[in-house]
Amino acid sequence: MELNFENITPFEEQEFKRNVITTNLDQLKGWVRSNSMWPLSFGLACCAIEMMATGGSHYDFDRFGVIFRASPRQADVMIVAGTVTKKMSPLLRRLYDQMPDPKWVVAMGSCATAGGPYVKSYSVVKGVDQIVPVDVYIPGCPPNPAALIYGINKLQEKIRYEAKHGKKVINR
Amino acid sequence: MLGLVKGLGVTLKNMTKPKVTYRYPDEPLLMPNRFRGIQHFDPEKCIVCNQCARICPTDCITLSGKKQPEKKGKVIDTYTINFETCILCDLCTEVCPTGAITMTNNYELAVYSRDELFKDLEWLNQNNTHIREEQSGNVAKRHGGKQ
Repeated sequence: MELNFENITPFEEQEFKRNVITTNLDQLKGWVRSNSMWPLSFGLACCAIEMMATGGSHYDFDRFGVIFRASPRQADVMIVAGTVTKKMSPLLRRLYDQMPDPKWVVAMGSCATAGGPYVKSYSVVKGVDQIVPVDVYIPGCPPNPAALIYGINKLQEKIRYEAKHGKKVINR
Repeated sequence: MLGLVKGLGVTLKNMTKPKVTYRYPDEPLLMPNRFRGIQHFDPEKCIVCNQCARICPTDCITLSGKKQPEKKGKVIDTYTINFETCILCDLCTEVCPTGAITMTNNYELAVYSRDELFKDLEWLNQNNTHIREEQSGNVAKRHGGKQ
């Protein structure tokens, strides 16, 4: 087949350089992945109580295909809910490494985002992004279940966007 | 066998009851009035007394004022809340003598980057929905004390 490469814009050229044939497959994969996110229930503090409440019947997490797993081998998402101390940080990294690809991390609450009330402490990690790459930050102390659902929906949006456009989402 | 019948009885009883699940992402979910979401800031009311910045347990509030040319006192110049470390203790809104900083019910604050959690004066001023309504007694105590 003859392809005319003269009249295409730089944007289209970039799109061609990505794989043209499998783009729809990528989108399908993004759709599937975003609708069956199994989080590793990494509850460390009071945020875990809100995470459990989100799994309960009032804010039903199963509606979004979010089913908590007890093993990192079966998990796609790690919801870090609570204060990560320096003693806990190597274990967090190991559990993250044990998760199969593709994997995402949600930092839930002020402690996981930046240390929260323990920001001046000597023993608390000031944000889990020092240990693992974080995709979505949910502020709040603790964030209420609806805020967690909003954060998970933002992560689903991110997965679908990245599958569709092939670029990393950094802002918005 | 009796346990099975008992369990099924609970199931059958709950089948006729209305569903308890909130339809949250499809329908907005309003939080009660005393809920702590994120602050709203009104620069008109602020008198740059610095009390909110001093009482903040995590020092996440930073503010600066500039001198007014004729009148006494200062006007607010910059006001930022580092919402990464804000623990929503509500002390800043309690201590404010003029009610310039108030709490709102907004909780949809998840972001992709930590930088976006740094809320400046403009953002906090535009965050003007679902502001907490104060009880009348509380307001009287706040504005002036004994008059």
